[in-house]
Amino acid sequence: MFKAFGFVKRNLSLTHDEYRAAHAGYHNSFGRRLNNIRGYILNVRSNNELSSAYNGSSVIEKITIAEPVDFDDAWDGYGQLNFDSYDDYISARSPSLDRAGKNGLEYDPMVAKVGNDLEYLYSGSPFQFCVDEAVPVSVIRPEKKLFKLAQFVKAPTNLSPILFRSYIAGKYCSALSLMPGLRGLVLNMRTPLDVMSGFFKPESEAFTDKGMMRRELFYSTWDGIIEYWFDDVSDFFSGRADKILNPYLAKLEPELFGASFFREVDETVAVVPNRNPPVDFYFR
Amino acid sequence: MFKVFAFLKRNSELLSHDEYRAGHIGFHCCNSRRLTGIRGYIVNVWANEGLVSKIGPEYRDIIINEPTGFNDLWDGFPQVYFDDAASWKKATTMEPTRATENGLSIDPDWTLSDSGFLFDPVDSSLKEFKSNHLKVDEEIIIPVNRPERKVTKIIQFFKKHDFMERLDFRDTILSNYAKELSSMEGLKGLTLNFRDHNIDSAINDFYPANGWHFSKQGNHERSQFASLWDGIFEMYFDNIDAFKVGRMTSTLNQTLTALDRKLFSSVWYIEVDESVIIVPNRDPAPDFYYR
Repeated sequence: MFKAFGFVKRNLSLTHDEYRAAHAGYHNSFGRRLNNIRGYILNVRSNNELSSAYNGSSVIEKITIAEPVDFDDAWDGYGQLNFDSYDDYISARSPSLDRAGKNGLEYDPMVAKVGNDLEYLYSGSPFQFCVDEAVPVSVIRPEKKLFKLAQFVKAPTNLSPILFRSYIAGKYCSALSLMPGLRGLVLNMRTPLDVMSGFFKPESEAFTDKGMMRRELFYSTWDGIIEYWFDDVSDFFSGRADKILNPYLAKLEPELFGASFFREVDETVAVVPNRNPPVDFYFR
Repeated sequence: MFKVFAFLKRNSELLSHDEYRAGHIGFHCCNSRRLTGIRGYIVNVWANEGLVSKIGPEYRDIIINEPTGFNDLWDGFPQVYFDDAASWKKATTMEPTRATENGLSIDPDWTLSDSGFLFDPVDSSLKEFKSNHLKVDEEIIIPVNRPERKVTKIIQFFKKHDFMERLDFRDTILSNYAKELSSMEGLKGLTLNFRDHNIDSAINDFYPANGWHFSKQGNHERSQFASLWDGIFEMYFDNIDAFKVGRMTSTLNQTLTALDRKLFSSVWYIEVDESVIIVPNRDPAPDFYYR
């Protein structure tokens, strides 16, 4: 599938929790109606400080490598969008035929504008990019809020991008997939494909010099994201403390990563990704 | 949790079944997913191809007295979850969920005004629509775990024999029938729902007392619909063949068929396409806006 991530910084008129309400509430309500969308998830940075909030939090410092300073100033959340193709993604922002009216089913132009709230919800444009995805452990969601982690990883200077991806998708994620309580594990490598042009207006902040600098600075701090889902936070910490797994990962990580750091996110599933072929009727 | 099923028929003057899908899962849910305090929200729409067609004539062997034209009475049924009845009743009291130039605000454009065009209207004014909102008491037999793909969902409707006492029936379903059913090969989730015997449980203080739902005609139509079934099993499978194999070609077939005859005056199955608008969160609600 075609998969895009969009990192966003909240509008400074909103607190982080107000931003949540506006993104998971109003904005997602329109985003989930984008034409041909096949999956839509929002991840909001947790209010919990992973390195101090939990029993076992002390492990975070030990497994973090070169975390960028003030990383969280650049984002409050990130959305992830699934489509069948790039063409579907680019054409998604058009009026949607999904509103009952006096003439039957009618087009709603507000979907083309994704609710038309971008300037009030965000500071500047989203950092939107296509990811190359690998799914070592398919995500299975129970009927409760899961503990979800995003591990940001950056390649060391002495490792080619191809080998970096190969090693992470291979031996690193294979080892991670052994962690008990894991409900899903997905690797997302950021790609250089331009998915901003044609999706955002030409006058958007993204296409200004300042906007491009802001985005490139953010991108310079990481190359990929490993997403973990657990039943409970203790599953992650006990997994990372495992007597066999942890020494193996501890040996691997300095070799594989120029930087590696973790964030807890709160996941809203606005459209459950449907990885099967699409059905021949409107489905979300 | 407080769980409500709302059986809804489309406005058939304006919409086909597939157009209804889009109108309900698209625009309508765009608004209803922001109901205050909602903790889970699923919309089930009956599948375009019936089980007789998909399974074959053997389907007739596992049903008893399926009501004729049952699918003409509804096109879809949302299931909504709230913490309690009080939360459900104040769900349309809106909270701020929209970023505006004034910061976080109540959305002035929030509306359910499409309902008269989307659902079966009471009259040509389209001001009111008919619905069968029914509170159900839920028992989770096998917790539902959803993969990242469309699952096959089968709804088993059942109605008790008149001669059975309600409590005895309920006990037998829980202690015996559900246990047998849960052993079905290929079953990925199983939820049992008993319809609350009071058909007004979900709509008292929710719909206006002078509206269609509480009118003589409304009460009659709602009673007729509710009288068709006493409970529902929601069953999840990887595909329709898994249901067929699990229910019809396994050794369980004889056991369940015998129990069906003993317990039910009618029992039948409908495949529905499930849209998860909000994944139900059965844990306590977090202290921030969460869907």
